[in-house]
Amino acid sequence: MISRSEIKAFTQKTPSFDDTFLGLKAISRQPSGMSKETRKVIALARKFNAEVVRPLALSLDITMQKDPTHIPMDFVNKANEWGFYTLWIPKLFGGQGYNLPSISFFLEEIGSECLAMANLIGVHYLGFAVAVSSWSTGLINRLCQDTINGEKTGKPCLMSLALTEPGAGTDVEETDLMDKGSVACHAKKVEGGYVVNGTKVFISNGHLSHWHMLIAFEDLKKPSASTVMLAVETGMKGFSFGRMEKKMGQKGCPASELMFDNCFIPDANVLFNSDQGKHFKRSLTRTNMQIIDFYFAASRAAVGAFGIGAARGAYNLARDYVSKTEMNGSLLINQEWVQSMLAEMYKNVLLGRLAYNEANYATSMHGMYKLIQQKQLYYITKYTPRIIFEKLIQPVLGNSLVLWLVRKFNFDMQTDEEIELTSGLASLAKFAGTDAGIKNCHMALELMGQAGLRHDMRAEKCLRDAKLLQIYEGTNQLNRLNLFKCLIAKDFTQATVFEEN
Amino acid sequence: MLAITNKELIMLEKAAHEFSRKVLFPERENNDKFPFGPFFQSTFEKAFDLDFFHTILPESIGGLGHGMTALCVLLESICTEDSSLGGIIFTHSAAMNLMLATGSQKELGPIMAKKNINDVLIAIPVFNNPSETNHLPEAVPDGETYCLSGPVDYLTLGGIAGHAIVAAKTKNKTGYSFFLVDLSQAGIRKSDPVLSLGLRACPSVDTRFEKVPARLIGEEGKGPDYFNKMADRMHTAAAAMSLGIMKGSFKEALDYGKKRDQGGRKIIQWSEMKMILGNMAVQIKVSDMIVTQSCNAVDNRDKDWEAGSRAAALHVQSLACDLTTDGVQAMGGVGYMKDFGQEKRFRDAKQLQALLGMCPVKKIRYLEKMI
Ligand SMILES: Cc1cc2nc3c(=O)[nH]c(=O)nc-3n(C[C@H](O)[C@H](O)[C@H](O)COP(=O)(O)OP(=O)(O)OC[C@H]3O[C@@H](n4cnc5c(N)ncnc54)[C@H](O)[C@@H]3O)c2cc1C
Repeated sequence: MISRSEIKAFTQKTPSFDDTFLGLKAISRQPSGMSKETRKVIALARKFNAEVVRPLALSLDITMQKDPTHIPMDFVNKANEWGFYTLWIPKLFGGQGYNLPSISFFLEEIGSECLAMANLIGVHYLGFAVAVSSWSTGLINRLCQDTINGEKTGKPCLMSLALTEPGAGTDVEETDLMDKGSVACHAKKVEGGYVVNGTKVFISNGHLSHWHMLIAFEDLKKPSASTVMLAVETGMKGFSFGRMEKKMGQKGCPASELMFDNCFIPDANVLFNSDQGKHFKRSLTRTNMQIIDFYFAASRAAVGAFGIGAARGAYNLARDYVSKTEMNGSLLINQEWVQSMLAEMYKNVLLGRLAYNEANYATSMHGMYKLIQQKQLYYITKYTPRIIFEKLIQPVLGNSLVLWLVRKFNFDMQTDEEIELTSGLASLAKFAGTDAGIKNCHMALELMGQAGLRHDMRAEKCLRDAKLLQIYEGTNQLNRLNLFKCLIAKDFTQATVFEEN
Repeated sequence: MLAITNKELIMLEKAAHEFSRKVLFPERENNDKFPFGPFFQSTFEKAFDLDFFHTILPESIGGLGHGMTALCVLLESICTEDSSLGGIIFTHSAAMNLMLATGSQKELGPIMAKKNINDVLIAIPVFNNPSETNHLPEAVPDGETYCLSGPVDYLTLGGIAGHAIVAAKTKNKTGYSFFLVDLSQAGIRKSDPVLSLGLRACPSVDTRFEKVPARLIGEEGKGPDYFNKMADRMHTAAAAMSLGIMKGSFKEALDYGKKRDQGGRKIIQWSEMKMILGNMAVQIKVSDMIVTQSCNAVDNRDKDWEAGSRAAALHVQSLACDLTTDGVQAMGGVGYMKDFGQEKRFRDAKQLQALLGMCPVKKIRYLEKMI
């Protein structure tokens, strides 16, 4: 009927079977314990929603409207008490080691009740993902130990990502754009470290994080090949906080300005720089893009999950409203047009969830999670006593051989196709999920009429909060272009991206 | 609006535009802090002095006697910068229109003649069609007047106006009736301003009436007819407000696109951005034509003007929601911040979509009228 070689040839044609049915392949490779663990994570999120998020969401939003400089430490303390800042830190680094894709499910759950609170937890893992993307095992371990201690001592120690600059938002997310733009955060190499000057803006959780993954540049004319990733600690000399933004929504999660004025950052805090980058098979520019793709592939899938959280929250509110509200003597839920709108909203949730899952499958098989989600390693880390990690493994994480091996595996053994697949699908999940979030919020408000406009009914907050999702981690336009670049352009040698006349 | 030739209207447009630019724009962010900041009383008073509240009021009772076009010209210009004031003018105009529809010119005159500007204002739940409300208050006859008891939710301007128009049920009639209520009377419990998505300085309150004397306006049980009469006209005004928001959003996005550099060029030079802005520009042109046409139809009582007015609102309001979403998007992170106007326009556009009742229900009613 069809030969082996034909099967191969036909399934490799665009759209390639391997690139479009990731779930099928991933499920058999995935450790079966993962699904049990994910179930537990979802249950935990729902419990936290019932006990903490739902009771506090509206009041935190109002507090921030009254005082936009309020720092929501109460909530962060609670999340810390519940162990959420170490839940997804691998056991290798002393964390609780839950499987990394499960964070998306968790964020969808929390986001369905309050996106700001989901962000107060999720952004910590964005910072963590950035640190991991450098594969600087020793330093990552140090940062993680601080978070773990913060959990033990009740003093939360969060991580943030400081990438965006006043003059460079979209530009710093793409090496193709970086060199044409005007990045300004300068890192000058000096004896024993770097001196940084510049400003970062819109940094989520900035004011309340302890560690900041700072992306700076040695050569402002050629930033794509001179990126320096630094771990900066709150309180370092020359580092200060500026304003907190007054946002439309996600008010509970601060967006901060970070200012660096001759701030000295020691070599021990360098996650990655050109010196280290030149040992890999790709050019520095391509390695830096690979790093960006490492962290955004993970975090954009999570933003897709935030979007689906919003879509679900809006759906839940609308569904509950129409199931109780009568119009002209009959319940709204019994009107066909209402049923149809609810079905559409339900569809948006489900399809968006499938999209972020596909992106996570890609990252598990081909991206940042590849090593840790590998079946044998997953079980070894799961069942190895913590003490073994503490006594035998963590002490060698700073060892140069370990560093070399880990980096070799992650940088050099990841193929270009793998980078494109993980990055492209994450962009898809990001804009699909967040557009679905906005769509459902609009529909919820239409279904609820006057009631939907009121803060106490929650739907209006959902819409305000959700709009941000289409902007951060790359605007949805940038993510569409990235999808084109990664998943479409490869079949057209004549196609260029970010180079139009 | 397109092709205004009437000199008086040109002057009105100019005045409203200047007011928007010089008075509303600089204080927009502050005014939007309400209820957590002060109410913009002085701005409101200035608008009153400029006769912005009197456009559609007949000359015989102290108004300017203009038609729908004038009201739309005014609302559109104001809403380019701050639709909260537009919302106040709209609400007050809807209430006046309703009184005129019920033939209550006589009752309206003395209210309009009051000295204190808040006493002149009339509140009404404009984000609602009383036919869609389950719990209207009850009106019980009491000599010449009636006594109202029950809840009136989301009474727009209820916290700042001297009077309100309230729909209530009477015992013997199936529909509902409209009543004029003096809000300074005892027996009215008002909540704090309801924190809302948009139009924050056009506040609404939840009220509860306990045997509050009220005067029937129009005939008993004929409320739905009066409401529809008012809504037929006011939908065009609602469309004009959304159009104003759209224009403001487009202008701000376009200006920003010409200033902001990314990727080594002005962002407006990227064709993706041109596509977004081009789409916005087309939506505005179409909406402008719709609103202009609808104003003419309402003022000239053209055939089917009522349907045209309702369709105009439904369509333009929906475009405004899409457009303002893009308006935020076109500016990236700053579009989401309160220092700029885009986020407020995004919220306001969505709020306006609920004017005069639930949007999907309005579409269904529109069709039902045709069959
Ligand atoms: C509340 C909030 C929280 C944030 N949190 C963080 C954080 O924790 N850490 C961090 O580093 N950053 C953070 N950001 C920054 C965020 O990632 C940027 O806002 C986003 O990448 C867009 O950049 P920009 O705002 O500078 O917009 P710009 O890049 O200036 O974009 C403006 C418009 O131009 C378009 N555009 C730009 N370039 C192109 C192009 N080449 N082709 C076509 N269109 C283009 C954009 O799509 C957009 O519509 C946050 C932002 C916000 C608002």
